[in-house]
Amino acid sequence: MKRVMQGSLLLLLSFALILSACGGSNNKDNNGAASGNSENSAESGKPSAAEDDGPVEELIVAFPIVSPDLTGLQLVEQEMNKITESKIKVRVKFMPINAGEWLQRTNLIFSSNEKLDLTYVHGTMYSNMVAKGMLSPLDDLIGEYGSGITASLEQKYLNATKIGGKIYSVPSVRDLAGSYGYTIRKDLVEKHNIDMSAIKTLDDVANVLQLLKEKEPDRVPISTGGTQSFRDVYKFYDELGDNMGVLPHYDNGLKVVNLFETQEYADFVKRIREWYKAGYILSDAATNKLSLVELMSSGKVASYIGMQKPGFDVQETKNNGVEVVSAELNPPYSTTSNITLAMWGIPVHSKLPEKAMKFLNLMYEDENIVNLFSWGIEGTHYVKVQDKIIKYPEGKDANSVGFNSLQWMFGNQFKAYVLESNDPEIWSKMKEFNESATPSKALGFIFDGSNVKTEYAAVSNVINEYKLSLETGSVDPDKILPQFIDKLQAAGIDKIVAEKQKQLDEWAAANGVK
Amino acid sequence: MNTEVKRKRINLRRYIPLYIMTIPGLAYLLINNYLPMFGLSIAFKDINYAKGIWGSDWVGFKNFSYLFATSDAYIITRNTILYNAVFIVLGLGFAILIAILLNEIRSRFSQRFYQSVMILPHMISIILVSYLVYALLGPATGFVNKTILPMLGVEPISWYLESKYWPYILTIVHIWKGAGYSCIVFLAAIIGIDREYYEAAGLDGASKWQQIRKITLPMISPIITMLTLLAIGRIFYSDFGLFYQIPMNSGAIYDTTNVIDTYVFRGLMQLGDIGMSAAAGFYQSIVGFVLVLVSNYIVRKIDRDNALF
Repeated sequence: MKRVMQGSLLLLLSFALILSACGGSNNKDNNGAASGNSENSAESGKPSAAEDDGPVEELIVAFPIVSPDLTGLQLVEQEMNKITESKIKVRVKFMPINAGEWLQRTNLIFSSNEKLDLTYVHGTMYSNMVAKGMLSPLDDLIGEYGSGITASLEQKYLNATKIGGKIYSVPSVRDLAGSYGYTIRKDLVEKHNIDMSAIKTLDDVANVLQLLKEKEPDRVPISTGGTQSFRDVYKFYDELGDNMGVLPHYDNGLKVVNLFETQEYADFVKRIREWYKAGYILSDAATNKLSLVELMSSGKVASYIGMQKPGFDVQETKNNGVEVVSAELNPPYSTTSNITLAMWGIPVHSKLPEKAMKFLNLMYEDENIVNLFSWGIEGTHYVKVQDKIIKYPEGKDANSVGFNSLQWMFGNQFKAYVLESNDPEIWSKMKEFNESATPSKALGFIFDGSNVKTEYAAVSNVINEYKLSLETGSVDPDKILPQFIDKLQAAGIDKIVAEKQKQLDEWAAANGVK
Repeated sequence: MNTEVKRKRINLRRYIPLYIMTIPGLAYLLINNYLPMFGLSIAFKDINYAKGIWGSDWVGFKNFSYLFATSDAYIITRNTILYNAVFIVLGLGFAILIAILLNEIRSRFSQRFYQSVMILPHMISIILVSYLVYALLGPATGFVNKTILPMLGVEPISWYLESKYWPYILTIVHIWKGAGYSCIVFLAAIIGIDREYYEAAGLDGASKWQQIRKITLPMISPIITMLTLLAIGRIFYSDFGLFYQIPMNSGAIYDTTNVIDTYVFRGLMQLGDIGMSAAAGFYQSIVGFVLVLVSNYIVRKIDRDNALF
């Protein structure tokens, strides 16, 4: 293993070197002259319909998946290519990456210059990726090829992605705000007569957990997904991108504070610790690698907390394969992180940025593309009930149908079909939800951490060390929290908070926020 | 003068096949070990993907400062060296012990059988080993917490959250996994010892223990020295699988499980900053290099013939 690791790291470095050398020279050759494409057109075999000149080119698109079954995705890829080859001369090739490995795999792809033309961009990585020059600025491309994007995404949302005045990624059209809520198996609610409307705070949740603990001894009352802590799924502040320096209550007079030193945080971890001691939480929560979907579908876990939106129960029921219901704990707020949560960007090393933008535009404009990504193939993975209402084929459900994607990340969700069991007005309700959400005072602000890189790395290491054990209640906060805070101080978190405050003040002055 | 040149030419011609035979090895060394050294420059750069590796700005030692910003550098250096030191001493001890014991087994079948059983752990993937360990130590279902500790009347222990136990756990796993395999070399050496020594010792009334101490150990000491030296040369490189997989990447026990290799890996994977992880790798190379020089110097002082160079 050691050998393999060293070997692969070395190989990686050498490849990075070789490729960067090749990449440099290729760029010059490839411009204009469509060299190196002969292979593609020969492979595709079909004589191309000649309205758009030039051969069909292969576009590699990366996104995370949760379902290990890829056969459905391959069918969708073939089906989608029928559309894209004629419309924009592009043959799409999916690069599905297991959601749990997303961060690691994309880091490797970028470090090794692996071919990639369009990628899902996760909000927490965004400013870092831009600071390192991983993403191309998109303003000009959107202006030229992105009419479908600007038509479906309001300018204020696009503006929230701007770093240094430029757009580097386009958010998907979905819930652009978030409320937090408690979700539980429906059969248990009915069995134990739990009044969902009475659940409004974490105290109420604790009562339900106690009941579950007593009456359902074979199930774990509550859990998070693997490598997630309870704070990841229940936010009570604007995280300002990375949780290092946050805005409590989404306002705080624009004064940035160190989250881990706040009383709210101390209370929160203390509460989670009580839950853990009472046996409400998975006892190996700190090392658990199973996803929430796996825990729920196996029946091991009864409930969880998470960020919610209209239609959440239907989505979760579909993902988990067991029926669930939810109660809202915190009202919806809209922060930069909500908007940048799921976006699409074009890697700086892509050779086909125009084609990538054309395809991205289709994801916002073309109903067929959106639904291929969201639901799969009509007749195979779903059947139509009415015009835009669908259901699963006879005798199938979300688990057995063979296609299951994270729909909210693919372009314009408002063009997606609605499942029969869902509210047919879901998209107009979603729009309302987005508009009704209270905006955080720092909505639109993105922090650039490149001035405090050293501290950033050191603080990240400290957070990685303590976060999971502390925020799953696995260790005693009275003993560990002061240690954690000391180490954060030593790693220089105050410098990050100060830098963030400075940038936030500048941002506020420039945008007239008071 | 003239004859010497001639002799050299003859020598060259005679050795040409040998030189050709070294080409694959040299090419491998060049590509795998020397070419990537250009990558060391990454440690001194602020990598920007838009500019590429060569085009990125030089930042001097800035990438190194995060290593030393916290106590991380001290912890990972300490862990790496102490673990490896323990592994060298105990690993060697157990390997020799097993080799001697195996050699004493008279039945050919049992000898082969025990040897195979000993080597078996070496064949198991480290991922599987990590789950075997988890089956023993898991908090809710682990054998130790569920069966052994209640029998002794001890409260269950959260193994994956308490750093103090891990030096022992990791050492035991390492020995269990590696000793059977590394004993092969010693076993071969012991089998190679002339049986007449033992017969003569037996006639003189030497006990088994005396025979081991006075014949076996001295006869295999050159091999022991060589293997120890080789191991010291790699003391700054740790068994990645052991330190990453066995503790299940649990943050609470980083204090005693984080070594340089896992630190670099986490740095690259989680921060995505190849400049900083290259800096950590660079640090590893430099300290490793110094350690090899020092240990070789010491060996040369003691026993010139056994030094590597």
